[in-house]
Amino acid sequence: MKRLVLLFGIGLLLVALVKEGLRKRASQVPVTTSGQVEMCLSCHQERPEKVHSREVIGCSPCHGGDPLRIDKHLAHRGLIKNPADLRVVDYTCGAPSCHPEMPERVKKSLMATNRGIINTLRRYWGEIPENPRFREEDDVAVLLNEKSVSSLALDYFRKLCGSCHLWFEKGKFPDFLGEKGGGCVACHLVPGPKEAKHPRLTRKIPIQNCVRCHNRSGRIGLTYQGLYEDEGYGTPYIEGDFGEPFLVDGRFVREIPADVHFKAGLVCIDCHLAEETMGDGKAYTHFEESVEIECVTCHGGDGTTRKGRKVSGVKKQGNQLVFITKIDAKVLPLKAPDALKCRHKVHRRLSCQACHASRVPQCFGCHVRRDPRQTQLDKISGQETPGAWEEFRSYQRLEEPTLGLKGDKIVILVPG
Amino acid sequence: MPLLSTVGIEGVIPFGALFRYLHYYAAQFTFLFLFWHTTEALWARSYQRRHFFHWFLLTSTYPLTILALFTGYIVRGDETGLSAGRIAENLILTLPFFGKILNRLFFAVSEEGIHRAYITHIFLSFVLFFLLGIWHFRLRKIKLEDLSLWATGALALSLLWPPPLEAPHFQTSLKGPWFFLGIQELLRYLPPFGAGIIFPLIPIILLVFFPRAPKRAGWGLLLWHLFYFALLGRGLLR
Repeated sequence: MKRLVLLFGIGLLLVALVKEGLRKRASQVPVTTSGQVEMCLSCHQERPEKVHSREVIGCSPCHGGDPLRIDKHLAHRGLIKNPADLRVVDYTCGAPSCHPEMPERVKKSLMATNRGIINTLRRYWGEIPENPRFREEDDVAVLLNEKSVSSLALDYFRKLCGSCHLWFEKGKFPDFLGEKGGGCVACHLVPGPKEAKHPRLTRKIPIQNCVRCHNRSGRIGLTYQGLYEDEGYGTPYIEGDFGEPFLVDGRFVREIPADVHFKAGLVCIDCHLAEETMGDGKAYTHFEESVEIECVTCHGGDGTTRKGRKVSGVKKQGNQLVFITKIDAKVLPLKAPDALKCRHKVHRRLSCQACHASRVPQCFGCHVRRDPRQTQLDKISGQETPGAWEEFRSYQRLEEPTLGLKGDKIVILVPG
Repeated sequence: MPLLSTVGIEGVIPFGALFRYLHYYAAQFTFLFLFWHTTEALWARSYQRRHFFHWFLLTSTYPLTILALFTGYIVRGDETGLSAGRIAENLILTLPFFGKILNRLFFAVSEEGIHRAYITHIFLSFVLFFLLGIWHFRLRKIKLEDLSLWATGALALSLLWPPPLEAPHFQTSLKGPWFFLGIQELLRYLPPFGAGIIFPLIPIILLVFFPRAPKRAGWGLLLWHLFYFALLGRGLLR
């Protein structure tokens, strides 16, 4: 018996020798400027942007794994493909030495909770009382842990709305859905140069990142850029191809005059503050509670929002207030509202949009159908579950909006 | 930077990883066999054939071996090692009068990093190896075949389960060396002096004075170890 074990030992020794011969070894131990050992750098050549540069941060503070090992199977244990995913963000982007205050704020924000959509949907469908009070359970994070679907409205939300929130796993679903979500990177990620082999993180969020989600309902992301979701079929066909541009999900769009701010070079983040987009630490039900920028913040105001925060783009140059854009630092003059037209007492109840929104896309006759015989992908759980929803509309128009009353204010009313 | 050396040994130097892994498992075997040997010696009442002074010297090698093993964890300089060093230092400093002296002798991690622990590790390991070697080889010659058997065991473990090396990231809780987890667990319930000094001192005193009151000391050791293994299990499951 002992001899057998000894023979086994000799065999193991041979295995160890072969393994050592085949083993990849580093030429030296790479250390980041912060003093952390990062063996990952001896194999990986990826180069993120300067602020998260490999020489300063390395790989493991974001992507996990074991930075002390050179063997691939050991080094890649616990690897995180997307460190910005809200499921892991407390340990990655939100680590104490990085952005510790952000995960909690973002998880409370409406883009993570979708509380407004869930609450309104359930209220309209008569599943919860008409009183639109704050409900903690109206939250994607709660739905993620729900074992079974408890209502029709939630089933609808899971299947048709469930891809536009920050908990959505980037790259998990096929086609254009694969580009959506991903926590922080849903907004902050842009493609990097090919030779960098790593995408870039940016604070200069391009409009495309916002419009990846903000292109339905009010269709603000499209209208702002001068695109109108057309009812057509891509006709007239030109040289055997569609005569109209189309979105990644196949909807045809037609070019219309873009918003004046878009023409001036402003993108979404020029107006919308970090506290609106990433949350201000409070949990809201509806976006009206969260959004604090108003037209008068810049036009006639000094850049202070209704919640008392400053819009960073509004600066004083000499005696004049100007707006400096975030993407390309363009300096733009800020015009105050017309003293006669806008301040006149007969117009005092008019919202700015009542006059300035000359055309608004309007979707009439919206209705949905659920076929219980078919299955459909639940975007929250990632499972195909019984019941397939389909949306229909009677017609879509680009028209002057109807005016109506909201409280004391005359606002535009848009069927979405 | 000690961690740089540890990672360098494992990731840069040829056969470095293999020798580090063998070293790790050989050390674990040393501790486990010493535990077994002590139990066996008590069971066989070998203390009856020893002078009390010799018995005292032999039993004192037990905590010294644990100290050598423990300092081995400190010197690798990873997250577990550094934290274990700091904890050990703070525990020993709770000892009145001798605390500072013993800390300067064995750890002094906050002042010298792992330097003192490294010297302790090397010095103790060699002293124990030679002294115990001389003592035991006089009594019994260990066959090369038996040693090769355990070397095979260490080699198999090295190839299958590379020993831990804890990176500093993503740690929300940190576990010390496995044999220390019972004390780590007890530190949740008792003050450092009680959990880190008095409690581990109990089995050493019982072992030293075992020949004077074998039955009571035997029960004491048994109960202490049962309690310790329960704490260890709780610590491992956390």
